[in-house]
Order: sequence, then C-alpha cells, then structure tokens
Amino acid sequence: MNVASHVPVSAASRSAHSASAAKPEFLGFGLGLRAQHYDEILNGSPAIDWFEVISENYMVPGGQPLRMLDRIRARYPVVMHGVSLSIASTAPPDFEYLGNLRDLARRVEPKWISDHLCWTGVHGKNLHDLLPFPYTREALDHVVGRVQLVQDFLGRALVLENVSTYVQFSNSEMTEWEFLSELSRRSGCWLLFDVNNVYVSAFNHGYDPLTFLEGIPSDRVVQFHMAGHSHMGTHIVDTHDHPVCEDVWELYAAALKRFGRVSTIIERDDHIPPLDEILVEVERTREIARQILPPLVSAAG
Amino acid sequence: MSGVMSDLARQQSEFQRAILTGDDAILAEIPDSPKEKRETLFGVYRYAYASRLVEAMRNDHKLLHIYLGDEMFNEVGHAYVAAYPSHHPNLRWFSSHLPDFLTSAGAYGKYPILADLAALEKALNDAFDAREAPVIGVADMAAFAPEAWAGLTFEPHPSAQRLDLSTNAAAVWLALKAEEDPPEPLSLAEPGRLLVWRQDVTPLFHQLNAEEAMMWDEAASGIPFGVLCSMLATYDDPDGAAARGAGYLHGWITAGLLTGVASGEQSGE
Repeated sequence: MNVASHVPVSAASRSAHSASAAKPEFLGFGLGLRAQHYDEILNGSPAIDWFEVISENYMVPGGQPLRMLDRIRARYPVVMHGVSLSIASTAPPDFEYLGNLRDLARRVEPKWISDHLCWTGVHGKNLHDLLPFPYTREALDHVVGRVQLVQDFLGRALVLENVSTYVQFSNSEMTEWEFLSELSRRSGCWLLFDVNNVYVSAFNHGYDPLTFLEGIPSDRVVQFHMAGHSHMGTHIVDTHDHPVCEDVWELYAAALKRFGRVSTIIERDDHIPPLDEILVEVERTREIARQILPPLVSAAG
Repeated sequence: MSGVMSDLARQQSEFQRAILTGDDAILAEIPDSPKEKRETLFGVYRYAYASRLVEAMRNDHKLLHIYLGDEMFNEVGHAYVAAYPSHHPNLRWFSSHLPDFLTSAGAYGKYPILADLAALEKALNDAFDAREAPVIGVADMAAFAPEAWAGLTFEPHPSAQRLDLSTNAAAVWLALKAEEDPPEPLSLAEPGRLLVWRQDVTPLFHQLNAEEAMMWDEAASGIPFGVLCSMLATYDDPDGAAARGAGYLHGWITAGLLTGVASGEQSGE
C-alpha cells in the first residue's frame, strides 16, 4: 500500500482563509536596507518612509545584524523580503527555514513577508538562485498548495514577486502574468510587482512589458521594486547593480497608472553607492507618483 | 519510492543537473528566444550559480582572498563549490566547510597556512553574529566572599571559541588586516592558541599561553576556580598559581568573555 496516496487533504484543497485578509497598507517610498547604510540611516534622518530587509541576513543567532535591525525597526516600518522560500520547488518545504522565518517575523513584526515566485533547488541542494519553471496547470496547482501551506504556517498572507527569467519552457500553458493572476486569486497571496524584472523578462522573451502589466489584476499588487540591470545586447541580466534605467522609469509610471498608490522601494544588491546617491532615486519614485496620482486626502479633512 | 514523478519535478531535477553538471538534456525543453540561442540564455544560470557562491566566499574570507589574490581565490572557490554544494537555505553558512576543504583537498593541504587562515576568519565570522548574552563585570565578583572563590564556576560568552592553529596564521591575519606584507608562512613548534570572541559588536582574537589556554578550556567545562588554581600550579611556580589564575580571570572579565559566574553553594538552589 502506498500510504502517501491515502493522505486525504492537500493544502490546496483547503479554503484560502487569507484570500479575504485585508490588503496591506500603503507605506510610501522606501529602500532595501543594506549594511553599508546602517550608520548613515541611524545618524541622519534620511527621507525614507520604510525599509525592506532581506530576511536571511537576519536569520542569524545575534550580534550586530539583529541589533541594527531592532534600531531601524524602532524608527521605520519594515517589510521582510526573503530569497530562499523556494515556493515553487517540488522538494518538500524546509520547515526549519519556515520556523526561523516565523521567529524573525515575531521579532520584527513586519508589515508583510515577501519572497519570489521561483524555486531554488531540489534533492536537498540549494542553488541560491531564483530559478524559472514552466507555467503549466500542474505547476499552478502545486504552487497554490504551497502558498496556502506557508500562509497557514506563518499565519499571514504572503506577498510574491515576479523574477527576471532568461529561459522559457516549451510546455508552458499560460503566460507569466496569467500564472501570477491565478495564483493570487486562488491562494490569496498578494503580488510584489518588480518593474525591472518585468522589463528584463519582456526583453528576454520578446513581449511588450505593458502586456504583462495589463495582465495583472489591478487590486492584487501591494509593492513595487525598482532596480537596475546589465544589458548584454541580445538579452538582459538582472544584476541589481546599476541605477534604474529610463525605460524602467517609464514602465513605473505606467504601473502607477494601472495599480495606483503602491508601496515602492529602490533595490540595489551590488555596487552599493553612498546613501545620498540612492536617495535621489527614492525621491524620483516619490516625485513621479506625485505627478501621476491624485493627492492623498488629509485625514483631518 | 513508487509513483510517477511529476513533469514539474522531473524538469526541476534536470534543470538543476544542467547547472551543476553541464548536462544539456533540459535544453530540449527550452526554446531559443527571438534574439538569442537557448545555450547562451541557459548559460546565465550556469555562470550565476558558481559566481554567486564564490562571491559569498569572498565576503566571508576577505583576508584569504587578499592573501591568495583574485585568480587563486577563484580557483579555490570553484573547487570548493564543486566539492561542497550548498545544503542550507542561508548563504551565511555556505563557506563554513572551507577550513575542512583546505585541510583535506590534496592540492591545498600542502599549505596548512590556508586552512588556518580560513579557520580564523570563520571563527571571527561566527563570533560576529553569535547569540547575545550579558557579560559580567569586575563589580559582580565583589559580591562573593573570599572563602567562596574556590567554588566559583564560570560561563563563557556564547561567542567565545578556542582555536589551535599549527601555523603563524594569526600573524599573517594581523599583517593583512593592517594592509602590510604578510610574513612567510611557518609551521609552529607549538600550536598557536587563540581565543576568539565578540566584544560588544566587534569580533576579536587573543593569543594565549599554554597555561591560560588550559585554564580557559577547563573553566569552560565547569571546573571551579580553586581546582583551576591547583591545575595552574602544575604549569609554573606553585606559589604564584592563585595570583596567576586571578590575573587571567580578571583579563577575561574585562574583555567581556564571561556571561556568568556562580558559587558552588548556590548552584543547588
């Protein structure tokens, strides 16, 4: 007898209690927290509304990383952004990782927890990369089930980000935006719309980034990422080590028109410049939003 | 296990194998893009895999990188990536087997300075983000009557680690840190005995003589102060053993190396 075949209930078959969870609040215009900027942030009062932190950087026993995080958290709203959830992997979930993530969330009380729509390894190995998979109905069922399980484990809705991809699969049955839309609808997860990643994938696979943008439901996006990339001529590599390029700023403006007021950060992972230089980009996210969106109505009014 | 592997599981398995081993089977399921061949596009994943891991190693072992130079560090890094693929979701621990690798891998084992330098950097990295704990001060010792001292036991700070090195890696580390030319690598007649820990947020190491190293190791295993002094008496002048013991203890306390002190009489409460 195959015991596994007799296990009756998959996570996917349970109702998504989180689908009805309240949409996370608008946090304003922020920055991905990097250790190089700790002192400048804590010694100054930079015009940054909130920070996104890489969860894994703080999934350590103690010391300076957690102390700095506590100090930043005391002054700013914080969102936890992971890179190792591997939500689309067919390997069993890493429950030790999930437990550590939950423990960190109890300490940080983040506004939300995000990771990427990708997988990072199977057979016990971790490739530490955001790997693509085919957009099939089989994959959709699998990821919906995993998202529901993780949401139940963490006791909150997840936010998932579209990644930059360099290859597609011949057996895909739907587009990436159709996959993301269905995933969000069925699992109740929210979406992190990485404007740069949409631009990169659209170029690499030869479609119009606006088609992607228009294919995503306007009410499911709770965060934007803005970042730079490296253009190789025939393809673009998502290196997150350059300033945001003009085409991506244009796509950001289009995203604001479609999705409205969405919490935004500038994300830089390598060649990290002084804080002042990045603040110019944070200001630009704020200024473009101010030009495109109607002013916020004052609560007092 | 029985059962049919799903398409998704099979594709992930082949995709991973293509990155790790260079097997091209998965490319049959990947179309060319409008502007580029699938081999080149898939190559982005192959290149990113090893280069990301080697970069993580460079961050963890900055002085070993300086010591070896770009080219040699890259070679060591790629050999390590092939020998020790990551099994942990957090890159923070990817490099942790590097001292073992450098000791056991044939080509590098001939240069024990490399494994020692990597071990020292690893110990400092581990101290950097070790668990938090309070540290006791000299004033805490005043609470104990002189007759209670013989029964005192000590709890090391969680960041504290002892490291014995067979080479002059500590001197090489200090020179590289100061951006000076490192001394020639040497095998030491007696091991270099180091104590590595974190003071506030800063990882530090301190070189111990044989006697202090023995006392630390035994204190960390719960031997009370009076016995420690008797043990010290076998290393050097017996009449000065208690004073030497008190001196080492004072040094540990002022360095923030101890988290707790307890008297034997109170330990049963």
